[in-house]
Amino acid sequence: MNPASDLEMLMARYQQGDFAAATALIHRLSPLLHRFFVVQLASRRDADDLLQETWLRIHEVRHTYRAGEPVLPWLYAIARHIRVDHYRKAHRTGAREGRLEEGPEAAAPPSGSGRTTDLEALLAPLPESQREVIEMLKIAGMSLEEVARATSSSVGSVKQKAHRAYEKLRERLSGPGLSKGRAGGLS
Amino acid sequence: MKDREIDEILKQAARVPHDVDPALLDRVATSIGSSLRPVRPLPPTWVLAGGLVLICAGVALAGAARSGFYGIQRLSVLERALIFPTLGIFMGLAATTCVSEMIPGSRRRVAPGWLLGAGSLALLAVFAVLFRDYRTDHFVSQGLVCLTAGLLHAIPAALASWLLLRRGFAVNSVAAGLVAGTLAGLAGVTMLELHCANFQAPHVMLWHTAVMLVSAAAGALLAWLLRSRPSRALRS
Repeated sequence: MNPASDLEMLMARYQQGDFAAATALIHRLSPLLHRFFVVQLASRRDADDLLQETWLRIHEVRHTYRAGEPVLPWLYAIARHIRVDHYRKAHRTGAREGRLEEGPEAAAPPSGSGRTTDLEALLAPLPESQREVIEMLKIAGMSLEEVARATSSSVGSVKQKAHRAYEKLRERLSGPGLSKGRAGGLS
Repeated sequence: MKDREIDEILKQAARVPHDVDPALLDRVATSIGSSLRPVRPLPPTWVLAGGLVLICAGVALAGAARSGFYGIQRLSVLERALIFPTLGIFMGLAATTCVSEMIPGSRRRVAPGWLLGAGSLALLAVFAVLFRDYRTDHFVSQGLVCLTAGLLHAIPAALASWLLLRRGFAVNSVAAGLVAGTLAGLAGVTMLELHCANFQAPHVMLWHTAVMLVSAAAGALLAWLLRSRPSRALRS
């Protein structure tokens, strides 16, 4: 069976209250979601928290998935929402703490301990919007149309972001500091 | 370096397995399992969008029936044939976009901001073509009456729309608020076109169109305020 329709079937069974389907979805989709959060420069610990929060939200709104629709855009749209919400809350808390402490440590970004794998290092210089598009297209294997759905944008905008990301990656991989050999090392 | 080579590098990087702590997955499965029960999926988009259009048309008709159909009685056939189909088209578009905003991962045919801009321009163009009386008698006093009446009809339309879509989930609440406000505003404008018999071009172009703009802005602002409100956990 093709993986996409397999996911759709599992989602339908999850909506019917099938625990085995829910567990199968959690085990199949969590690595994708966790990588999505890590690639967006979250620490592994933050990614763990975001993953839990995403699953709880997915569980709350599972009735909004409609049979026959692709699962991944629905899932990634929720994951993006959780990530943005998390950054917003972190920013608000950070600003509050910053006002209290006025110290440079208070504004420091979350530690990146345990997150610098090859893929994250490769995508790190890209702006967030381009990074997420590349992650969805090339890592999660979504189509342009599916990425457009997940990011609430048009196919043209997704293409443009992917094109710009490739230009940056090309620059970085062909740059003096990173020869092709090093690029191979990154992979 | 060619795109194909970058593709290959990304593919190789993606092939490296990304493990998640199995204990974490078990915790997630357990917490979900404890409240797992069958749920009823949302109805198809056309059903929800049709419901929204019916709500808005119903509010506009009920409002005009209560206040009097003075406007539509004085409109010529051409004016009716241009104004109401334009309102109908944008109401349909706004309803479909509103439903898309409430379902994660939906195909977005029209961006909410574009819809508001195009809707306002279309209404302005139709009014500018049809109404050639450029007097401004009681411009502000009559204008404020129309603006208030339009907005007062937008409120029940927005509330009823929210009731219909309350099971949805907006991943971008401000965009959802903007489009819901646009839709409710269109209900208010429709009521005014049915009721208001003041056909002075400046009045119709400014005050009637303003109902949609103010309603959309209010929807977006309300959504932004609700989103910006610190959660209980954060406050504690």
